[in-house]
Amino acid sequence: MASVSLYPLASLEQIEKSPSREDGLSEGLEEDLRAFGCKLIHQAGVLLKQKQVAVATAQILFQRFWFVTSMKQFGIGDIGMGALYLASKLEECPIRMRDLINVYDLLLQRTAHTLAVQTTSPHKGEFKYAPMSYFGNTFYDLKDALVVAEMQILKRLGFQVHVVLPYGTLVNYLRVLGLTSREDVCSRAWGYLNDALQTPVYALYPVPTIVSAAILLTTRFLGIPLPSTPPNCWWELFDANWEDVWSVCGYIMRLYRPRPLEDQTRVLGMVSKKGVRQWLEDNPPSRST
Amino acid sequence: MDAVERANAEHQKQWAKDQKIGEGTYAVVYRGREVSTGRKVAIKKIKVGQFKDGLDMSAIREVKYLRELKHQNVIELLDVFSSKTNLNLVLEFLDTDLELVIKDRSLVFLPADIKAWIAMTFRGLEFCHRNWILHRDLKPNNLLISANGQLKLADFGLARDFADPGYKMTHQVITRWYRPPELLFGARYYSTAVDIWSVGCIFAELMLRTPYLPGESDMDQVRTTFRALGTPTEEDWPGHKKLPDYFDAGQYPKTQLRDLFTAATTECLNLLAKCLIYDPYKRISAKEALFHPYFTAMPYPSHPSKLPKPAKKGSTLPLEEFDGNVDFEGAGPGVRANPPNKLKRKLSAEELGSRPLARRLDFSQHA
Repeated sequence: MASVSLYPLASLEQIEKSPSREDGLSEGLEEDLRAFGCKLIHQAGVLLKQKQVAVATAQILFQRFWFVTSMKQFGIGDIGMGALYLASKLEECPIRMRDLINVYDLLLQRTAHTLAVQTTSPHKGEFKYAPMSYFGNTFYDLKDALVVAEMQILKRLGFQVHVVLPYGTLVNYLRVLGLTSREDVCSRAWGYLNDALQTPVYALYPVPTIVSAAILLTTRFLGIPLPSTPPNCWWELFDANWEDVWSVCGYIMRLYRPRPLEDQTRVLGMVSKKGVRQWLEDNPPSRST
Repeated sequence: MDAVERANAEHQKQWAKDQKIGEGTYAVVYRGREVSTGRKVAIKKIKVGQFKDGLDMSAIREVKYLRELKHQNVIELLDVFSSKTNLNLVLEFLDTDLELVIKDRSLVFLPADIKAWIAMTFRGLEFCHRNWILHRDLKPNNLLISANGQLKLADFGLARDFADPGYKMTHQVITRWYRPPELLFGARYYSTAVDIWSVGCIFAELMLRTPYLPGESDMDQVRTTFRALGTPTEEDWPGHKKLPDYFDAGQYPKTQLRDLFTAATTECLNLLAKCLIYDPYKRISAKEALFHPYFTAMPYPSHPSKLPKPAKKGSTLPLEEFDGNVDFEGAGPGVRANPPNKLKRKLSAEELGSRPLARRLDFSQHA
């Protein structure tokens, strides 16, 4: 089996005009929301002591999902939760529904608290988590949302849930480049791959391109020279082309840019589809284009 | 209706559901057909909603693996679509299964027929293993047979890809009579060899026309196995006494397969013995098996279209053809391994030892 056919990538048409942008979300805002949704998945994964493989799989499914669905239709919170649940089953390490719901409830409450502190009441004090009641409505509402999200992800991705993670490829490439003895190189490149999970690149580019980008960023940061003048370009060894590698680097580096508080706060209020709809009402699409 | 809903509706329109042919714990199976061609299919409707844990693991596994696997000897997943809150799997329709063939006393098997079935089983299994997938529930009624005689592996509800080295897998898989000794002793790290043992048991069953190792409980299964093949020594199977659920099942003498399988050829017994080696490391692999002299020796395997088939009767198939959870026929073991990773409770080792029967459903009273 060719490795390309194993995992689906977004089509050009989907990339040019994602469903959320069709509905009037700006490109930057969609990117921020995707990244925040992935952070929530990651935090939930850590709190649940879930295997990293399952967390990464969930983030990739999550990123794919937004190429077929608008954030006006489903919230990033619900879909993130569904993706983590589905990925846990796919990776044979299922988690309890109630644990997942509790963890997401905590994360959402914390988000709401941060939002309140930053906007309305700056002196609200420290965050205190109020656990939900065992048979309360919060639980059943979140549970329904979770079941719907799991099914919707499967359905909207056409039941193609195969995900290829980049880590094995990274090890191979570093070996080829003779860099495995440099611990700083390995851990930094590995880190870029993890951070890239917060961007859509895993739904856009094949694994070799993404891994090459992680290596490029690493070697540039650490000042390690690699053959980079035509016809001897190291990334060509891995079937990657420069434009794509450079574009992936751009996606990753954009994550690290300092953001105005305003942009950070904006995202916090849009975790649910209700928030997204409210925002769209307040900022009619005609203006934002 | 957005693009996704439209695409789903398009898929749904291609298939028509006819009558219900069975019901299992997590699915209802309908006979159906492709609207444009009239081709018969089986539609497996997964019930969602009434399950506490969202979609059933078995359903997810089946979708995940069958989407990937396309092979002459593996059941084909033709399409997947959802209707309201249900998930529907469209599978190719197969007439019968190996269990019905074995049970049909009016059929006579030639050695060449057995060779053909085993060859097709190994071919399908080798394909799964080559793609890093363990089946984990091989038994005669999961080996379906098409109208033209092709045998196909079905029911991937317990399948999984190989775990990374060092990750535990559940040992609660494979229907008891086909379960290898390492799983009976609770091994949590295992590999393709578990499927090979099952094929060995099926191979023997084809020759005997009755289950080869019909244990009555998990512990009895160990004794039954040792009675048939002799108690393994530390030399036969290094380290088996250190497995988590190991117990002393008593000393049984080694026996010669030849004594039981009197009519079998030397090559045939040699392959069977290699499938039933205690030490999983020494057990033959699916690929090696395909190159075994048994398959090239005379008589050659029968052509699939010439294989014996049960006479058509009533034409309603029992469900277990699609879902091993239920056994309406009642004569089988009536058990299937607990789906792994059941969240509610994990069986501790002493629980396994003290009451091996209580947690299992026995349907044998049903008939």
